[in-house]
Amino acid sequence: MNDDLAIEVKELRKSFGSLQAVRGISFQAAKGEILSLLGPNGAGKSTTISMLAGLIAPDGGQASIMGHSITSQPHQARACVGVVPQDIALYPDLSARENLSFWGKMYGLRGAMLKSRVEEVLQVIGLTERQHDRVGAFSGGMKRRVNIGAALLHTPAVIIMDEPTVGIDPQSRRYILDNVKELMRQGMTVLYTTHYMEEAAELSDHIAIMDQGQIIAYGTHDELIRLVGEQTRLDLGLSVEAEGILPAWQEVEGVFQATASDGIATVLVDDSNRVLPRLFESAGKAGVRINSVDIHEPNLESVFLHLTGKALRDD
Amino acid sequence: MKILDIALNDFTRSVRSLFAIGMMVVAPLVITGLIYVAFSGAGSENSDLPIIQVGIVNLDQVPADVPVALGKTLADMYFDESVAGYIQPKIYPGEASVRSAINNQEIQAAVIIPAGMTAALMANQSVPPVRILQDPTLTIGPMVVKNMAQSLLDGIYGGSIAVQVHRQRFAVHGIAENSINLQSIIHDYEGWFTAFQRELFHSPQAALVLVTPQSAGEEAPSADPMAGILGQIMTGQMIFFAFFTGAYSMQSILKEQEEGTLARLFTTPTPRLTILGGKFLAVVFTVCGQGLVLLLVGRLLFKVQWGTPTSVLLTMLGQVASATGLGVLLISFVKHERQAGPVIGGGLTALGMLGGLFTVGMQMPEAFTRLANFIPQGWVLHAWRLSLNGAPSAEVFTTCLILVGMGATMFAIGGLRFNRRFA
Repeated sequence: MNDDLAIEVKELRKSFGSLQAVRGISFQAAKGEILSLLGPNGAGKSTTISMLAGLIAPDGGQASIMGHSITSQPHQARACVGVVPQDIALYPDLSARENLSFWGKMYGLRGAMLKSRVEEVLQVIGLTERQHDRVGAFSGGMKRRVNIGAALLHTPAVIIMDEPTVGIDPQSRRYILDNVKELMRQGMTVLYTTHYMEEAAELSDHIAIMDQGQIIAYGTHDELIRLVGEQTRLDLGLSVEAEGILPAWQEVEGVFQATASDGIATVLVDDSNRVLPRLFESAGKAGVRINSVDIHEPNLESVFLHLTGKALRDD
Repeated sequence: MKILDIALNDFTRSVRSLFAIGMMVVAPLVITGLIYVAFSGAGSENSDLPIIQVGIVNLDQVPADVPVALGKTLADMYFDESVAGYIQPKIYPGEASVRSAINNQEIQAAVIIPAGMTAALMANQSVPPVRILQDPTLTIGPMVVKNMAQSLLDGIYGGSIAVQVHRQRFAVHGIAENSINLQSIIHDYEGWFTAFQRELFHSPQAALVLVTPQSAGEEAPSADPMAGILGQIMTGQMIFFAFFTGAYSMQSILKEQEEGTLARLFTTPTPRLTILGGKFLAVVFTVCGQGLVLLLVGRLLFKVQWGTPTSVLLTMLGQVASATGLGVLLISFVKHERQAGPVIGGGLTALGMLGGLFTVGMQMPEAFTRLANFIPQGWVLHAWRLSLNGAPSAEVFTTCLILVGMGATMFAIGGLRFNRRFA
């Protein structure tokens, strides 16, 4: 057991019937770091954190939080964790303050300590003025903030956040991302799942990219980018179905990969300035008109595409 | 401590829900209140029942030299001036004519006094039953007619007991049984009881009725006929809505499951048994709170005398235990909140009907009455009847024990199912 590790996962597995949701994944998160699990919907991120949060039992493998095994010491492990669920999990007919008080009690806080922590968290989430209003009357962003606040009351060593920015406005999203960074500055370890690669890139010390129940890449942002070398991604909008032109583009010098989805051709190239005219020329010969061009420098999206042959965003 | 926090959290949410408050407290009070307004005249100090037309068929003919005529006494009771304000009687020659009068809605109820009633009593034989016919669409009027007959019949059975006691005393002292003496005893008893009945209807507050033996110091049941009837009606409503509340409160676990708060609770360092226990305790709190409010309002608003404090406490205990148990059991079979509506609505209405909650005060077929013995609501109704009638606490205690046993069994099965579901 390594004392520097907040989360340690070894060969964790979970199946639902014939579906293997998590296929023996392993990763670690050091104390005080932000680790992101990045992957499309259905990659196994939520199943992984559900096991770490103690919601479902793993079929095999081991995991520990702050040195406590999630299977043999679940109570101690849960006491070290604050979980922020993907959906709002609050009581809409109670006020923000009542919600926080209740969740604080569930983490064992009482009396003056509970009161003081509720005050502090209300300040952190910026809802001191609205503390007596019912949560049901809040905007989506405000609910998200209370949802996060409820996991912070007992100052846990580890925060698990399951896609906390899904479906909210940019302002609230910014607020949440800044808060996550602040938590890290306070020494908390954050396990953050997302399918937004920008969030993973901005927040994370380490990123584990998941697909089909497996971790297909793990490292820092820069380490992962290096996996795809200097590749640039071109998204080309076409006048016709893209599949017909793909074989021709695969033959163009400087093209590593060409795929298509929904009328958009995605092409990985070494140098866009050099390759783009050739792609136009090839399309012209085939009678295909290119309506739009988006040039993306290498990023996590490119990494995912490079590793799986499909786009990360599926929404 | 966490178990209480969870229970109080659920209880707070229940009492903040307008729908829950409406169904738990407002609905039973409104229904009883409507009946009160319809039949007693709201705001009036004196009962103001609408006129009840009653047909009387007296088949109990006795020879002229016999001084006792029970059938005539019973028939005369409906002609007494003390009830003239709300009973309008008419003599009919036989059952066919009185049935025809009911069918034609000329009368609302009929009392058929059987032949040989007096003779059976004099011979110390089983007295043939008096039958009450009624317009099936009415409840209150026929119930008043029935209660009047019942109170006199209680007296007649008292007379029968008096005859038996005298016979035994004659035998002990070696005195030859003399039918004149027996007739004299019955005659004296009848005279006293008729006077007593008249006094009762003239001045209900001043009279004392001992329907069943009571323990020392226990309060007498209500002598006001309207309060008694409202007590029965409100009891039916209270029981139905208590069981509704039990199931509705337990439904919160499904709601929490769908809202995600149950899963979030499971991620906290709180044992799952504590979480489930808190949910169950919340149901107990809610059913208790609802019962207390209804008892209090029933007493203050409708002047219902629920019984002695001990009987009321025991009956409430049985009601809370069985309503909680059934609520936990019913909801343990439900997967989603969408399913809960039909299960709670349909299931509890059916059980309420079988338990006799909607036919309080009506003469029901024997099979139907027996069926109620297998339904928790039927037992709770039985317990409240005992309490309302001033039965001894020991008798209520037995019924309470049965209810607690039923509640504990249902609770255990439901609890195990929930534990397995969320393990």
